Amino acid sequence: MRKLALLAALVAATSMPAAAQTIRIGAPQPMTGADAPFGDKFKKAYSLAVEEINAAGGVNGRKLEVILEDHQAKNALAATVAEKLITQGQVLVMTGGRASGQAVEIASVCQRLKTPYLVDHPSADLITSKGFEWVFRNNPTGSIYPQAFNRFITEVEGAMPKSAAVIYDNTVFGKTIANSAMTFLRSKGVPIVADEAYPVNTLDFKPLMTKVKAASPDYFLMVAVSTTDAILLTRHAKEIGIRPRAFVGFGGGFGVADFPKQLGPLAQNVFSSAAWSGNPNDPVVKAFYEKFQKKYGFLPKEHEVEGYSAIYIIADALKRAKLTGNLEQDRDAVRQALLATDMTTVFGKVKFGSYKGPLGDAYTNQNVHSPQHSVLAQWKDGKLLNVWPKNNAETAYVFPDVM
Amino acid sequence: METAVQSLVSGVLTGALYAMIGVGLTVVFGVMRIINLAHGEMVMLGMFGAYFGLELLGLDPFVSVVVWAPVMFAAGALIHRLLLRRIIPGGELNTLLYTAGLSLLVANLALFVWTGDYRTINLPYAALPLRPFGIAVPIPLAIAFGIAVLVTGALWLFLGRTDLGRAVRATSQNAEAAVLMGIDVERVATFTFGLGTALAGVAGVLLAPSLYLYPTVGEILVVKCFVIVVLGGLGSVPGAIAGGILLGLVESFGAVYVSMAWKDGIGFLLFLLVLLYRPSGLFGVGKA
Repeated sequence: MRKLALLAALVAATSMPAAAQTIRIGAPQPMTGADAPFGDKFKKAYSLAVEEINAAGGVNGRKLEVILEDHQAKNALAATVAEKLITQGQVLVMTGGRASGQAVEIASVCQRLKTPYLVDHPSADLITSKGFEWVFRNNPTGSIYPQAFNRFITEVEGAMPKSAAVIYDNTVFGKTIANSAMTFLRSKGVPIVADEAYPVNTLDFKPLMTKVKAASPDYFLMVAVSTTDAILLTRHAKEIGIRPRAFVGFGGGFGVADFPKQLGPLAQNVFSSAAWSGNPNDPVVKAFYEKFQKKYGFLPKEHEVEGYSAIYIIADALKRAKLTGNLEQDRDAVRQALLATDMTTVFGKVKFGSYKGPLGDAYTNQNVHSPQHSVLAQWKDGKLLNVWPKNNAETAYVFPDVM
Repeated sequence: METAVQSLVSGVLTGALYAMIGVGLTVVFGVMRIINLAHGEMVMLGMFGAYFGLELLGLDPFVSVVVWAPVMFAAGALIHRLLLRRIIPGGELNTLLYTAGLSLLVANLALFVWTGDYRTINLPYAALPLRPFGIAVPIPLAIAFGIAVLVTGALWLFLGRTDLGRAVRATSQNAEAAVLMGIDVERVATFTFGLGTALAGVAGVLLAPSLYLYPTVGEILVVKCFVIVVLGGLGSVPGAIAGGILLGLVESFGAVYVSMAWKDGIGFLLFLLVLLYRPSGLFGVGKA
C-alpha cells in the first residue's frame, strides 16, 4: 500500500503543473565529426539566447531548455535523432539541422509526427517547398543565396561575367545553389565554360582545377557545404594558377575563421556570397556581437546569428501559444503561433508566408523577407567584410581580383 | 598542351606517393602472404605523427620522417611478433580477417582519442607552388615526391644488394627453400612487416602536408592501395611502383578529360579489367 502511495506521488511529480516544467526545444546538430565546429557554433548561440530568456523570467514563467542530439552530419542519423527527440525527448518544438541533407530528413520526421520545426540555417529550397505545414524557415533558401552576387554583377558596371566556371559538391545544397546561380547567369547570356560536381571531402582537386584552368573562366564560382572542401578548392585552384576576375564561394565553409587561417594569403579577395546581410554598424547587431564576443571570445557570424534568432522566434511563438500540458495540442498551438509571427530579430525581419522562389519553387512558411537577406562579402586580411548590396557594405569591393 | 603536361606532372607526383604505400603492402604480401587490411591505418598514423610532430614539437613534417620511420618500423615488428605470428599458421583467410579487425580497432581508437575532426598542416614556405614553365608544382608534393623516390630507391638497393634484402626476396620467392638455405624466415617476416609498416608510416608523413587528415582516411587509401598492388601484380615491388604511378596518371587524366565524378570510377574499372584479363598484374610477375 505504501509502495502504491509512493508510486502515486511519483506520477504526480512527473506530471507536475505545466508552469513549473521547462519547455524543451529539440535541436539535432553535428556535435562530432567533420561538421562538429558548426554544431558547436549553434550550441553556443542557443545557450546565449536561452540564458537571456530564462534570466528575464522565461516564457510565461516557464524556463526554456535546448536539447542537442548529435547526428554527425549523417542524413540517416538526423532522422533517427529527430524521431528520438520528438517521441522520447518530449520536445515541444524543433530547430537546428545544420545542413540541407539532414534538415530534409528532420523536416519529414517533424511533418509525420506533427511537431513544429523552425529551420535556422539549412537552405535547400526543398525543405520549404514540399508543402509541409509543420516546417518553418527564417533563413533564405539556397536559390536566394546568390541574389547578392546576382545584384553585384548586374549593378556594378563592367562586372557582368564574360564566362563562368561553376564547381559544386554533389549534395542537395551544392546542386541547389549551383543550379540557381547558373540559371541566372544563363538568363544573362553568360556561357558556363565548366560545370562539374565533386563528392564531399575530396582529397585532391588539382585534376579538376587543371580542367577549369584550360577553360580560362572569367569568374570562378565554387560551392562547398564542407569547410575542408572550401579550403582545398581555393588552395588547389590558386596552386594550379586559375586567374579569374573573381573567385566567388557559396556555402558556410567560405565564411568561417578557418578559411583565412588555413589559406593565409590565398584567402585574400575571395568573395563569399552568404545568407545573412546583417550590417555590423546596426546598433542591434553591434550589441549582439559585443555580447557574444564577451561570453565566448570570438566574433559571431551568420550561423551564430541564425541560431540565436531562432530561439527568440520560438520564444515569441511560445509566449503567444496557449499551452495546456497536452503535448499534441501544444505542438499544434505552437505551429499556429508561428504562423502569426511578425517580429524583428538580430537576423532581421521575420514573417512566414507562402510565395514563389527565384526558380519557381512554391514555398510554404518561408520567411517572406528572405530575398532581402542575401549578402556578398569579401575576405580582406583575414576579415570577411560585406561589400554588396551597397547599403550594407562595410568596405569597398576589390574587383577585378589582382591576386 | 599545357593541360596535358599539368595532368602528367600532377599524376606522377601523386603517383609516386601511391607507389610508396603500394610497395609497403606488396612486400608484406610477398613474404608472408598476408593481405594487410590495416595498411591504410598505418598511413593514417604516419599522418597524425607528422601533425603532432609539428603542433607539439615544432618539427617540420619532412624532417620528422627520420623519427617516424624507426618508430613505425618498431611498431610493425611488434605487431608481427605479438599479434600476427600466432595467426599466420591459421591460413590466409584468418590473417585477412585479423588485419581487418586490427584496421577497425586502430581507426576507432584514433576516432575516440583524436575525434573525427579534420586537420590540416600548414607550412608557411609551401603556401604557393613553384611554376616552372607555367606548370604548377606544389612544394609539399614536390618534396614528398623527392623523399619518396629516395626511399623507394634505397629500398630497391637494399633488396638487391644486402644479405638481409636478399633473404627477404628469397623468402618471398619460396619460403621453404629459404629455410633450407638457412634463412631465419620468422625473423625475416618480423623484419618485413616492420619494413612495410614503416613505408606506410613514412608515406603518411609525406602525404600529410598535401592532404588533410582524419582518423578514417585510411579507408580511402587502403582501397587505392589494392588497386595499385593488383595493377602491378601482388608481391612485386617494381609492379607496385609502376601501378602507383599508373593510378596517379589515370586519376589525373581521368578527372581532366572525362569528369571529376568519374575519377575514382575509372581507376576501379582498370582494376577490374586487369583482374579479369591479367590476374597476375600488368607485368605478369605477381603471384595470383
